[in-house]
Amino acid sequence: MHNKTLGETIIAVDSVSKTFDRNVKALQGVSLKVKQKEVVVIIGPSGSGKSTLLRCLNGLEETDSGAIVIDDTPLNEHHRNKLKIRTEVGMVFQNFNLFPHMTVRENIRTGPRFVRKASLEEADRTTEDLLARVGLTDKIESYPRQLSGGQQQRVAIARALAMNPLIMLFDEPTSALDPEMVGEVLEVMKNLAIEGMTMVVVTHEIGFAREVGDRIIFMDEGKIVEENSVENFFANPEKERTKLFLSKILENGGCE
Amino acid sequence: MPAEKKLKFKLIDIVLLTLITAALVYIVYRIKVTIRYDWSWEIIPKYLFRFDKGKSRFVASTITLGFTMTIKLSIWGIILGTIIGLIMGILRVQSGLFARFAGRAYVELIRNIPPIVLVFIFYFFFSSQLLDHLGIEDAITTAGPGLKRFISIIFIEPKLLNEFFSAALSIALYEGAYITEIVRSGIESIPKGQWEAAHAIGLSRFSQFRHIILPQALKNVLPPLSGQFISTIKDSAIVSVISVPELSFQGMQVMASTYATFETWIVITLLYFMLTFSCSVIFGKLLRKMQTAD
Repeated sequence: MHNKTLGETIIAVDSVSKTFDRNVKALQGVSLKVKQKEVVVIIGPSGSGKSTLLRCLNGLEETDSGAIVIDDTPLNEHHRNKLKIRTEVGMVFQNFNLFPHMTVRENIRTGPRFVRKASLEEADRTTEDLLARVGLTDKIESYPRQLSGGQQQRVAIARALAMNPLIMLFDEPTSALDPEMVGEVLEVMKNLAIEGMTMVVVTHEIGFAREVGDRIIFMDEGKIVEENSVENFFANPEKERTKLFLSKILENGGCE
Repeated sequence: MPAEKKLKFKLIDIVLLTLITAALVYIVYRIKVTIRYDWSWEIIPKYLFRFDKGKSRFVASTITLGFTMTIKLSIWGIILGTIIGLIMGILRVQSGLFARFAGRAYVELIRNIPPIVLVFIFYFFFSSQLLDHLGIEDAITTAGPGLKRFISIIFIEPKLLNEFFSAALSIALYEGAYITEIVRSGIESIPKGQWEAAHAIGLSRFSQFRHIILPQALKNVLPPLSGQFISTIKDSAIVSVISVPELSFQGMQVMASTYATFETWIVITLLYFMLTFSCSVIFGKLLRKMQTAD
């Protein structure tokens, strides 16, 4: 997606730190800016803090210090701000986390109905539109357990989109999938990027990063080691640590 | 679900069954020849149903009245206990200190005192004082016959209302403590990802509970919950100590006036068994139906 015009800054992270119990330093002074319509891919070894950073962006994890501003709203202790940010930032999880007691339709319309207070007809219309977009119209009355992993993840993406978010966060969305299902999920994500969605994606899918990403961030030990354009990141990475990581994952065919 | 295992008779089963049967026959034989007990089963029927000359038809008598009272007490105990358990169970998993403490204190208090003490506390300290002061008794004694009849049907005859309320509330509080723990374990059995997904689509804490967590949690705990409901029926016998005319109390009454100890308690036992066993069969069927439905 290299020919689109990016908009204003929509995510501003300023020297955020986070320490878990037992002194595990998950994030150490991370700063980051993301513009509207930008697709930022975060890669790094496991335990590098990339998921934690992502989870801080919608308030799933609280930060110890530093500031996060989403669409001009500071993510602070004000309940109203937190709620606003949660509704404006959609999130897709590694393990899908669909609600197993609900059909696909109910999964998707829950947000619009109980958060946006949309009418049932309105919520259903949104649901049907979104399912058409992820190519699962015929699964509307199915339960999550009747779907394949790839289908479940596409439903999870539709569920997040139902809130009409400004930003989508993806936390290793294809890591729990069988290899043959990775493609269908990446396809949906790619279309989303083409439509101009602002996305922050934690992934090991180098192909996706190359094709869809505008910028790559490499993290290790709770810090951003390198931040680079997609071309430079793979062609001539600046840091030794990045080169080492890249050589490892490229050896293994793109999956860590 | 694994296929049901076929029952197979093995040699060891046959041997054990033979031994047990032999032992039983021997015991019954010894009782017959040694214990002098005049069986008088013929007195039992009139304590089940008696002929009312005024109405010229059969009406429920002592034991049957006790049976229906046990059912009423159990139903109220289950309804109130479930409400208490649901609220307290939700408090138990809150992050707030007060809520958590309140839930914990309730459970520990109830589980660490004998239920009979609970019944007395309720009867002597709460209900007999509180109901008087609230003027409920006065209100009921002056109530019209329609209201009195209604109260008799859903609770008990008005003059025993104090006893009934104490009984139903202490049963509810006692069972509620166990239901609290069942509800808590159900909530805790729901994976963290469900909370996170509910959080991420912007649901309020209340909606997360109401639409995502509780429906799954309660479904997971239906088997232990139905067990607890059946326990409630059995545990209700304890309120006989405050003269609520439920099945056990009525049993003591009949025994005292007839001295037909064995006959009375055999009948009482059978009635309890009928009630709890049929409930457990019904619950079992419902649960199986729900499992095959998904």
